[in-house]
Amino acid sequence: MKITVKIRRALAGGGAPFATVVCLLMYAIYAVRAPSALSIFGITNVLNDAIVLAIGSVGLTVVVLAGEFDLSGVGVIAIANVLVATTSGATGLGAVGSLALVLAIGLLVGTINGVLVALFHLQSLAATIGTMIACEGVALLILPAPGGEVADNIATGLTGDVAGVMPVALLILGGFAAAWFLFKRTSLGVAIYATGADAQAARLSGINLRRTRLVAFMLAGLCYAFAGYMLSAETGTGDPRVSSALLLFMYAAVAIGGTSLSGGKGGVFGSLAGAGILTVLQKMLFALGVAEFYTNIFNGIVMICALLFGNLASLLVGSVRRQVAK
Amino acid sequence: MTAISLHHRLPEGWGVPLVVFACTAFLVVVIKLISPGSALAQQIEAILVTAIFLVIASMGQGLAILLGGIDLSIGVVMGLAGMMISGLTNGADAALGWAVPATLASCAGIGVFNGLGIALAGIPPFIMTLASGSIFFGIGLGFTAGAAQRPVAPVLQKLMSGHVFGLPLPVLLLAVFAVAAMAFQNGSVEGRRLYAIGSNPKAAKIVGLPIRPLTVAVYGVSGLCAGIAGVLLAGYASAATLDMGDPFLMPTIAAVVIGGARVTGGRGLYLGTFAGALFLSVLETIITVLSLSQGLRDIIEGTIIVMALLLQTAPGKRRF
Amino acid sequence: MSPPVPALEVRAIGKRYGATVALEDVSFALHAGEVCGLLGENGAGKSTLVKVLSGVVAPDSGEMWIGGAVYSPRNINDARSMGVATAFQELSLVPTLSVAVNLFLPRPAGRGFGLVRLRRLEQEAARVLQVYGVADIHPGALVGELSLGVRQRIEIVRAMMRAPRLLLLDEPTSALSDREWLFALISRALDAGTSVLYISHKLDEIRRICHRCVVLRNGRKVLDSSVAALSDAEIFSSMAGRSLVEAFPVASSAVQPAPPALSVKNLTAEGIEDVHLTLARGEILGVAGLEGQGQSSLFKALAGLLPLRHGSIEVAGRREIFHSPRTARRAGVVLVPEDRKEEGIFKDLSTLANISLPVIGQCHRLRFIDRRVERARVEQIIPIVELAERYLPLNIEALSGGNQQKAVLAQALIAGARCLLLFDPTRGVDVGAKQSIYRLMRRFAEEGGAILFYSTELDELVHLCDRCLVIYRNRIAGEVPRAALSQERILALASGHSLPQRAEEEHFAEKPVVAR
Repeated sequence: MKITVKIRRALAGGGAPFATVVCLLMYAIYAVRAPSALSIFGITNVLNDAIVLAIGSVGLTVVVLAGEFDLSGVGVIAIANVLVATTSGATGLGAVGSLALVLAIGLLVGTINGVLVALFHLQSLAATIGTMIACEGVALLILPAPGGEVADNIATGLTGDVAGVMPVALLILGGFAAAWFLFKRTSLGVAIYATGADAQAARLSGINLRRTRLVAFMLAGLCYAFAGYMLSAETGTGDPRVSSALLLFMYAAVAIGGTSLSGGKGGVFGSLAGAGILTVLQKMLFALGVAEFYTNIFNGIVMICALLFGNLASLLVGSVRRQVAK
Repeated sequence: MTAISLHHRLPEGWGVPLVVFACTAFLVVVIKLISPGSALAQQIEAILVTAIFLVIASMGQGLAILLGGIDLSIGVVMGLAGMMISGLTNGADAALGWAVPATLASCAGIGVFNGLGIALAGIPPFIMTLASGSIFFGIGLGFTAGAAQRPVAPVLQKLMSGHVFGLPLPVLLLAVFAVAAMAFQNGSVEGRRLYAIGSNPKAAKIVGLPIRPLTVAVYGVSGLCAGIAGVLLAGYASAATLDMGDPFLMPTIAAVVIGGARVTGGRGLYLGTFAGALFLSVLETIITVLSLSQGLRDIIEGTIIVMALLLQTAPGKRRF
Repeated sequence: MSPPVPALEVRAIGKRYGATVALEDVSFALHAGEVCGLLGENGAGKSTLVKVLSGVVAPDSGEMWIGGAVYSPRNINDARSMGVATAFQELSLVPTLSVAVNLFLPRPAGRGFGLVRLRRLEQEAARVLQVYGVADIHPGALVGELSLGVRQRIEIVRAMMRAPRLLLLDEPTSALSDREWLFALISRALDAGTSVLYISHKLDEIRRICHRCVVLRNGRKVLDSSVAALSDAEIFSSMAGRSLVEAFPVASSAVQPAPPALSVKNLTAEGIEDVHLTLARGEILGVAGLEGQGQSSLFKALAGLLPLRHGSIEVAGRREIFHSPRTARRAGVVLVPEDRKEEGIFKDLSTLANISLPVIGQCHRLRFIDRRVERARVEQIIPIVELAERYLPLNIEALSGGNQQKAVLAQALIAGARCLLLFDPTRGVDVGAKQSIYRLMRRFAEEGGAILFYSTELDELVHLCDRCLVIYRNRIAGEVPRAALSQERILALASGHSLPQRAEEEHFAEKPVVAR
């Protein structure tokens, strides 16, 4: 009984284990073409490429688990990026100060989203479109054209490695993963899953839906802000227009990682693996000499296939579960 | 008191669109006040001409949202349509005869592709349309290497700047389209079925409505509308670039929502979408006239969307 | 000596939802250590009262006291802190979480910001389950994978484990196959000082465990007395507003000989196994069963919502395969589903639009709806369901449950159905509308239509059906012919017994087969 219970739970945990395996496999294939990928330098490189998407998807995952949409991520990332580019310099707030500032902004936007959805009962899809557009506007106001300069210590410090062995990006991602591991097991974490799975039952069980949704959006806002901070570290400059492809990628990472877009199932680990898959895919295409404009096509196809596969997989899992349950 | 009783005497769902029309009228007055120079009639004409793209593209978005879905590929399809018509006509009128149908058919084809993925493969509309937008953008890039295309056929350009009976042609087109769209969405058999499916998909299945064919058709129509808008946009701009449709995507969603539609489907008239599209176009014009920076524009647009949503929500509405 | 403070006192509670009055001026008291039954038909207001008492909704008017202290909970947690616990009819368990986590919601990690310690939680859960006699449920199992009966037990255990002052049990036995387990727990709770409000529409249970009972009808309290002082007939008539005898239209068999309207052989699908049934034209064939025994799957399979794994369906002698309800409807087989709100009505459309939907494709000129033709078609059908014309232009949500159901039936009939699958059609329907529906069913049968009719009201099955199939554990457990139709027979088969030998047998002497 115990073993079957464990298997069941692993399967029910969603596509995270599967996505991780796929990610590692893809990286292995990539390494065949580009042997430097296995060096610390190479790994650091890939992680740096992935980290903005990864952290952004972490935030999005929390909201999606609670059963809501959130399109405002790219907006917050844009604001964070331009703020760091304009305030982190020597005469400004410095590395830590600008981090605190962007986190505060992210929290603010998340709170606004949360209030609109949880207290005013607006549809999250429409409401977060509004906040996204407004955020893009704010970013443009702060920095109308690409420019600004990110403090050196941020740009080099966060993109390098510690003692030549541990990439800083890995530490950061590890930190997020650990934070999620803990959060998932708090009452609030469980409440988020419950709210997304069956809001009516959650309410009758005593869960405060308003608070749960509010917290989900706030956490997402914090994550987006951090992702924007990392974007500044990666690019070293500020750009008020964040690629709109990032929104697609964030949702793709979440879906590929096995989190159900209707809520209640999945988790952050899967999204991290999903972000990894998408990043490695880009790198693989590049290493294979595929022209850049084909990447759009591949990204789209991968997304669709991932979901098709996800549907098939859950059908399979469903029937396996029935066998196990008998 | 009177407002409420008036509301009850109106046909179902007309309340929000009328309010939006009123706000639009108010904004037009504001324009007149800001720039007293030009004649009001001319200004309104100019607004209506630029509104046509949003009005047409939002029709498709409105249908997708009515079904409970969404179409995020509209911007890309518009750009592709513009590129295609420019590329095929190559600055001359000769090829128009087959270039226009070919372009529109391709756009409808993209929509059908979306619809098939959603209806048959069960892929969420959000992802399917976003992903296919990316795919077809890439295909477009591949064909054109992103370069702007040569000018569009002169007939199209004349269409967008021509006049008939003293009214600009586009305005007439606008009126004809709006009437046709309203008649379709709210007066046709298919339209009624769409409302039912959007209102309660489970019940629609039990009643035996053809959900899958209608879903594919809706996204096909959405692609078609985006295509029409793209072709007209190329004529208006006299040139085409692949990303010229991108600024229209979010406004189509905003127009539908501001017009009173429910994001989960089943509610909302085309009249509302039309009102929302006009409202946003006028708003855009004011912002341009005021020479506001892009940043301020976006902030205003975003705030207006949120406010429109807040006004729509009935107070004390319970939702889990 | 002053009278003891009642455990629960409720005064002049009122609640409306839009045009519908759910509760009006309801007042009663519950004393310590007492089990009070709350009776009423479907739609009488019992569930609303439970929601008010549990803190889920706030009443529009009225006041409540628990043990003398003012009680006005804003949410479930407020109610819990005042010692009120509820086992809801619509289960409040989150299906994607495990049994253990569900038991300890909303704070599975304990007070403050602690972490859920899964092993500790499961051990604790196992202990609780043991104490309440359901040790066979694994605490790590996901609730969504468990059967309805097991879930109901967990729901009840969750309410009881808080040792509340007031325990609300809303239809707790609807899916239980072993009611003795529950009754034993109730007496334990009473010994511990809990007072119980027991909501049910089953008279035999009320008699068995309740000291007093309160009857609601159409949102009002119509009876409040000790159980022993009332006869079944009195309780029944106050619940139904009519006496048992006059309720049903005079039934003479309209069954026509072969060919049968519907012939089903070896039908197996998810949740239902190896069903044989023959439905003749003009016949009303009843289906009875406790909750979750497979009747839902049977109806879905016949309507084309579930694919068949084995077996065949023949309609009027012709073999059919139903890929979807669309194909079933084309063959004349139409389902009227159980949950009107979720699966039956289109709440954004008018009543007229709801009814005309199946035939809207015939009411057009060049694909544009011809409203006169539409109206004519609908006006033709509504006299059959006895729905007043004035409801047609209204949004269907504004109608009462009974009128909504009539509209749904009109929608089912308008395209010319020959075989109706009615799944609990009178649930949440007032008395007047019920009678209209009974008359409709009889008329439909007399004109040669066939009806497969599932109901949770035993007397409907007994008085309306030509014969009755009983479902137990996803199979047909037996068939009760017309002559032998009685509530006891049906109930016996539905609970897994074979037919009792003696006709006088009323109660089940030996323990029934315990479901896993």
